[in-house]
Amino acid sequence: MQSYRLLLLPFFILVVSFTILYPNFADRTLKVVVREDVYSLPEAEQKTVVGGLFERWENDYGKSSGWTIEPKGTLPPKENPFYTVKGRFITSAKINQISQENQSLVNEGKNKLEPTWIEDMIRGGKSLSIKLGLDLQGGMRVVLKGDFEDYTAKLRDLYAKEIAELNLTLNNPLAKPEEKEKAQNRLSEIESSFDLSPMRKIVELEKAKMIIDNRLTTQNLTEPQVRIQKEQDAIEVSLPGVSNSAAILEILQNTETVEYRLEEPNSFTYKKIISDSESRLMDLGQREKTDIFLFQELVKNKAGKKAQDEFLAGLEKKYNIPKDYKVYAMWARGNSAKSTLLPRSFVVLERKIALSGNDMTNAQPSYNSNSYGWMVSFTLTPNGAEKFFDLTSENRGRNLAIVWGDKVISNPVINDPIAGGRAEISGSFSEQEAIRLANVISEGALPIPLSVLEMRFIGPTLGIESIEVGVKAVAIGFFLVMVYMILYYRLGGLIADLSLLVNIIILAALLTLMDFTLTLPGIAGIILTAGMAVDANVIIYERIREEIEEGRALSIAVTRGFENAFWTIMDANVTTLIAGILMIRLGNGPIKGFAITLCWGIVTTLFTSLFLSRLFMELTVNRFGVHHLNLRPFFFGKKEGKHV
Amino acid sequence: MYNINFTKYKYFTLSISFLVIVFGFVVTFSKYGGFAHSLDFNGGLRTVVELPKDKSRTDLESYFQSKKIEAVVILLEKEKNIFQLDVGLGSLSTIETLYKEIPEEKRETSTSAIDRFVQLLRFEFSLPKEKVLSADQVGAVVGGELTEVGITLLLTTLGIILLYLSIRSQFKFALASAIALVHDILMTLALIGFLQIKPSVPIIAALLTLLGYSINDKIVVFDRIRENAHGKDNLALSNIINVSISQTLGRTINTSFTTMISVVAIIVGGAAELYDFAFILLFGVIVGTYSSIYIAAPISEIYDRLRKKRFA
Repeated sequence: MQSYRLLLLPFFILVVSFTILYPNFADRTLKVVVREDVYSLPEAEQKTVVGGLFERWENDYGKSSGWTIEPKGTLPPKENPFYTVKGRFITSAKINQISQENQSLVNEGKNKLEPTWIEDMIRGGKSLSIKLGLDLQGGMRVVLKGDFEDYTAKLRDLYAKEIAELNLTLNNPLAKPEEKEKAQNRLSEIESSFDLSPMRKIVELEKAKMIIDNRLTTQNLTEPQVRIQKEQDAIEVSLPGVSNSAAILEILQNTETVEYRLEEPNSFTYKKIISDSESRLMDLGQREKTDIFLFQELVKNKAGKKAQDEFLAGLEKKYNIPKDYKVYAMWARGNSAKSTLLPRSFVVLERKIALSGNDMTNAQPSYNSNSYGWMVSFTLTPNGAEKFFDLTSENRGRNLAIVWGDKVISNPVINDPIAGGRAEISGSFSEQEAIRLANVISEGALPIPLSVLEMRFIGPTLGIESIEVGVKAVAIGFFLVMVYMILYYRLGGLIADLSLLVNIIILAALLTLMDFTLTLPGIAGIILTAGMAVDANVIIYERIREEIEEGRALSIAVTRGFENAFWTIMDANVTTLIAGILMIRLGNGPIKGFAITLCWGIVTTLFTSLFLSRLFMELTVNRFGVHHLNLRPFFFGKKEGKHV
Repeated sequence: MYNINFTKYKYFTLSISFLVIVFGFVVTFSKYGGFAHSLDFNGGLRTVVELPKDKSRTDLESYFQSKKIEAVVILLEKEKNIFQLDVGLGSLSTIETLYKEIPEEKRETSTSAIDRFVQLLRFEFSLPKEKVLSADQVGAVVGGELTEVGITLLLTTLGIILLYLSIRSQFKFALASAIALVHDILMTLALIGFLQIKPSVPIIAALLTLLGYSINDKIVVFDRIRENAHGKDNLALSNIINVSISQTLGRTINTSFTTMISVVAIIVGGAAELYDFAFILLFGVIVGTYSSIYIAAPISEIYDRLRKKRFA
């Protein structure tokens, strides 16, 4: 290892590490987006809301943070409805805090921390700054439990048609035995899919986790962590810095789906029964007794999904709707495009799902200038396209309803078979609704409905005082250790210090790159890493000194010192690594955070102490002409043994 | 070269360690009825309040101390003087009594413990309602999942280390290291119980760190013993151990010292909530070093002697 060229490797690694760490120290730009409705407020109200923001701003960040905010003191122009905050160390907690303290002014979901050029290059705009865990900055923790009963019910709807057909085959005396057997097999296959093994549940939860991840990212919520709690079929979502946000909870839980269902055949038998009864009441002048009026009241009073479901189920009973059909409300706007979306009439759809959201992808909202309305166009998966073609060719003349969540948003008549795999939905959408619908189609709906099992605000384990003092103490400790190493091992100490610094930098870069969330135990892991790195160098130097004292030539002593120490360092680190890997696999929460930093710390320590230190040392001795290496402390005075 | 007979006192050090551990646990369970309660492990009450500018952490702490309420005070925001107060379940009855002492006209009837605590706070610090920013009865963060996982984890880790070290060196060293590790953990737990330190996330971090430190330390010492013992089966192990420990003593002292520098910096630095963390670490470093020399080495020697006797 006596080549200058080898120096290129650590140099290269350091440059990469610094590049990765750059966004943590760079000046950053944060866009705080103003809510649209603020602009339509009377001027006096606007002033109070804006005044509130700047009063708090002065108190909290004005003097201490060194951040700037533009435009200061006024509302930004309507064309560019955002404040630009610039400064160093803008953290997620602060972003979320600003939004929450100014809820009537700031549109939380749209805030955006502009990526630095490095993040644009390496991550395509994804954040590269070190994330802090809940225990360091506090935040909200929500545990959402998967409702698997609801899930199977939905699944039954999806298979309803196939099951009916299979049963028909089974009961058909004319069917061939092979056919019957095949049907029987398929039937049990379907039945088995209703049976949820723990493994299946995990798979469904994984899917839900991915969708939640996506939703949170599109909300620009900073640094959410989503993990599955196997023990209770639940998904845990940690939102650092968020203290109380009903809106976020709604986004998380949103189980809206998009699906196609066929309406009852064109004679509209059941729909007629309902509408006849409604018009009878209308004739009597009892509008407030009609079901649609009652249903609208339910919606206006925000009675919730459950109450709505019960109401519709009640209608099915009242009008004796057969089991194969289900009553839905058709939602639309009133006469003007600005009026609210409300249920306007009832429709009766087949219970079986004709085409589910899984068959659609890649949806885009677009504005239709012909009808002056928003619509959503999407692509069908190959399988979906086939189904859609069959569906549209077999059911010409019937209505095909699009159900979004529980709302029927349109039910066009099928005129011709539709091939080609592209389709669009036009309803009376507003822009937001079109975007939301497109999101539901693109991201997919949550496979399982989720209910809130537990939601709580978690304060940080440590206060800011402790974090400030702690960081200072650790820095002082580091500095003292480094001074001590130089005092004790002189030149060797300097080399050890250098490789320790490199070690910490590489480790930080690695953790950042892996999207690691730093927690207090994680910091403890880094401290242990530093300790073990120093220890490795101490072991090496003690060995070198022994060799020198035995009278070996310096360059040989150095080589032998490293060789003798090699296995000791390996053993110590590999054992710890094994313990660490076990902790990652078995432990969770605090244990895991500790173990991850520890394990990566061991990797970097092995590199820096066995390769880098050695490289530095050998170059010092063999190239820079250092002939005497004194590894005795300044303060013990004992003269170094002579070596040749 | 130093020439200290480390193994001479082995029975003394082994029994001292044993007695200290037993003593610590006996006190913990007989006097205190177990480990201290803490919010992280058992759940409890959590309130966030904004205090008037003239009140500080000291006021809160001295109040809780005088009323014998076990509370952890955390400063959340300096500019606004916002504090988070965590009260363990152990103090519920005290709060109940204190709540009843509030003059009738000033208290609202309430049933939940958290309500009563809030009223107590508002009364004592004359806080208006809006200065109580949040109040929750919270569940344990780490307790439940940790006890079970912790024990499995510890045992599996020990097993794997035993295996690795047996393959790399000899079973006796592996066994001695494992026992010494258990010793360190038990010793630290005894201390935590004896001083009624509240288990928390930082304490867990400290325990894990000292475990890592301790493994590291033992392996370094044993590697030297193994190296020195190589091809010298006829020599008494105790001599080899003594020489090896002496040889690594410089390194042991240096490493312990540098580790302690950082830990002491945290203690002296005065971060209130990090004090326990640093204290356990400091203790752990000392115990870990002690056990490498006075527990692990002697055990390997005793095991060696017993084995030789059997085959003699």
